[in-house]
Amino acid sequence: MDLSENFPDATNSSTPLIQMSSIWKVFDGVPVLRGIDLDLYKGEVHALFGGNGSGKSTTMKILSGVYRADSGQIRVNGRPATIERPTDAHNVGIYMVPQEPHIFPHLSVEENLLTGLDKPKGEVREQIERLSEEMEFHIPMHTSAGSLSIANQQLLEIIRGLLRDVSVLILDEPTSALTFREVDHLFAKMKALTNRGIGIFFISHRLGEVLEISRRVTALRNGEVVLSSLTKDLSSSDLVQAILPDDGGSGSVPASQPDSDDSGAPRGEVPVLEVKSLKGEVFDDISLSVKEGEVVGLAGLVGAGRTELAEAIVGIDEHARGDVYIDGRLVRNRTPRKCQDLGLVYVPEDRHAHGIFLDLPHLYTTTSSILPQLGRIFISFARERSIGEKYMDQLRIKANSLYQLARTLSGGNQQKVVLSKALASYPKCIILDEPTRGVDAQARQDVYTLIKNLKAQGVGILLISSEMEEIVEFSDRVLVMHQGTIIEELSREEITLERVMEASFGMVGGQIS
Amino acid sequence: MNRLLRNRELLVFLLLVVMVIGVGLVSPHFLSPRSLRNVANSSLILILVSVGEMFVVLTRGLDVSVGATMGLSAVVLGLALNAGVALPIAILLALIVGVLAGAVNSVGVAIFRVPPIIMTLGTLGMYRGTMRILTGGSWIETIPANIKHLAKLTFLEIHMFVWVTLAVILLAVLVLKKFKPARYFYLVGDNEEGALFLGIPIQRTVFVAYILAGFFSAMAAVVFVAQVGFVPMQTGNGQELKALAALVIGGVSLTGGVGTPVSAFIGALFLKTVDSMLIFLKVPGYWSNAVGGIILLVAVYFDYRLREAVNLRQLLSRRKVRMEHIKKVRSAVEANRNGHTHEES
Repeated sequence: MDLSENFPDATNSSTPLIQMSSIWKVFDGVPVLRGIDLDLYKGEVHALFGGNGSGKSTTMKILSGVYRADSGQIRVNGRPATIERPTDAHNVGIYMVPQEPHIFPHLSVEENLLTGLDKPKGEVREQIERLSEEMEFHIPMHTSAGSLSIANQQLLEIIRGLLRDVSVLILDEPTSALTFREVDHLFAKMKALTNRGIGIFFISHRLGEVLEISRRVTALRNGEVVLSSLTKDLSSSDLVQAILPDDGGSGSVPASQPDSDDSGAPRGEVPVLEVKSLKGEVFDDISLSVKEGEVVGLAGLVGAGRTELAEAIVGIDEHARGDVYIDGRLVRNRTPRKCQDLGLVYVPEDRHAHGIFLDLPHLYTTTSSILPQLGRIFISFARERSIGEKYMDQLRIKANSLYQLARTLSGGNQQKVVLSKALASYPKCIILDEPTRGVDAQARQDVYTLIKNLKAQGVGILLISSEMEEIVEFSDRVLVMHQGTIIEELSREEITLERVMEASFGMVGGQIS
Repeated sequence: MNRLLRNRELLVFLLLVVMVIGVGLVSPHFLSPRSLRNVANSSLILILVSVGEMFVVLTRGLDVSVGATMGLSAVVLGLALNAGVALPIAILLALIVGVLAGAVNSVGVAIFRVPPIIMTLGTLGMYRGTMRILTGGSWIETIPANIKHLAKLTFLEIHMFVWVTLAVILLAVLVLKKFKPARYFYLVGDNEEGALFLGIPIQRTVFVAYILAGFFSAMAAVVFVAQVGFVPMQTGNGQELKALAALVIGGVSLTGGVGTPVSAFIGALFLKTVDSMLIFLKVPGYWSNAVGGIILLVAVYFDYRLREAVNLRQLLSRRKVRMEHIKKVRSAVEANRNGHTHEES
């Protein structure tokens, strides 16, 4: 077990099982991996840590043959390997268990295990029996795989890998759907496997788990390795520090100094939006409020439950329970329409799916929220056009005419069209969900200007964003959501990149939660 | 009870038996060997088309050209016989046409990635058009009697075609159960991404599925020509929809991965038996389609509810896991916060 003492840096030891060097990958012209170097030794758990979009999953998908690297080299046991398909990876002894296990739900456990194997059945059955014993996977072989718990589906996937005699397992966020007992069980099994000499890559953004199970950690940010070290030399804040954005490391940039002189603190006392103990599928007992002219940042990692919360507030998720007050009035049986009529609008995260009518003139999206105001039965074109022109002008939407199809606009202009739809109903409170995702720099500035203007006009804003800088810059107050609950509330003076980032990863008061 | 609900084929079969006995009580003549033989004979075409369609549906595909393929094969068979081609060769020709018609769909769906519904709607039109081009639009009549004799051969009082169909289904069942590549139909339809990860040849599997659909449609065409003795231009019209209905009733999931040839067989038999019952109950023939539609809707609805109930269990257990996490995180945060303020004070 003191392997850890022997070869931390591959200087004096045996060849690594895996050695990836200067791996590059570009998607749609955007580099997502910029020269990743990574290795894995026999019998160790090597954790990959990082925020959303840092490149950890992409790196592992390249290693397991789901993607192909644009450049770089992979060596397996010291020999260069070409991995172009998942089966290539299996052949050199690498198996990846994806976040959602790839099982065949309608087939039996046994059929799932036997699939794609080229060994004689009798021999495989023996092996299955032995591995099931080792993994404590006590499920009758004829059970249909779809009825297994996620934990057992994962064990099934692991056994599937072991049946291929692999020496490297990749586990992509394996714990996200497990109960605590199941996590303990999984970790025990991971230890048993490393004792057998198997190397494990463990992708996670749960600090506590990374520190508990791994021998080494590599942290990624923006497709680059920013830290690689033995776990025992690290604390949780070292890890969070490592993945902070470049300029933010220095810490305490006070929140919104630039606009503190124009609008100052929020004006009204009555909240324009108040949520009281809202419960939904992926979050529980959430309370928050947004006052007139206040920007409340809602930070957190993807999957923390922020979008689901927003959808519950405006009534898209009708099963959520709890009270929502808009402008001081309790709203029962909420629908997005009702919320809009009372002054609350939601600008969704996925604009193509939920925000815009792509194959229609962009004007139609703008006015879609206020059709009743354009005439009782027939649409008044003149009024529609004047509204469209107003927002094209105000938001600087670049289009040939009001009737250019929304699909042909750039991402930034599409986002402005979505915003114009929200503004057209003159809301008192607006929920912006990732308003600058996938928009160009110019449009991003325009969105920021809009946020400031709305604030100055007294509109309350709930700003959901995964860009911590955005949250820090514009918020009067920040709520940080972590695994379905608000774990931190920071007042204007307390907001720093570091604290927002730490809380997003579940650290509050220097402790992991 | 639970077991029974899960074994759809048995459930439908029992329902069928009950209905047959019920109708028999009202109209005892229905249970005569002669009448039951008629029901069996008239079901063969739909059974064959449905089993072929099943392979495509297993892969999560859809083939609406099976009726047109059947029509085209029937036309080729009729024309060949009228041109004096020997019977076995003419039948072989018809089967080859079916395979080719299926292969065109395969190329479109598996290689050029045309969505199945669009590809097969296109070929549906093409094949129906080809029927008219080949015949000039007129029916094929005066087909030599030798093929009609095939339909009259019997063994143990039961027609040869019934035996052949049963044998084909038995063969299909065995192949699907025991032959390794046949398992791929289920894998591809159940979880295509998962199949890709395990190196299953997805393209090849889909390719073979559409060819099998064409082949089974051509077999149905042979039965049709032998039983009817002429080939109208409407041959095979609407078979694709009836086959899909039969699959749903028999328990083949339209979302892929679930079903056996037995499901297709039972579903088709059920639909055709209901047709015959309506005649015995003196319901006018034009009611048959509407009743078929109602049965289909009822079957789809219960199918949906059953599957939903299974999903719900999974959803609930996932929610339990999430809530457990939320609770733990919250209590940990509170503990940390208290510890924190404690230090400060």
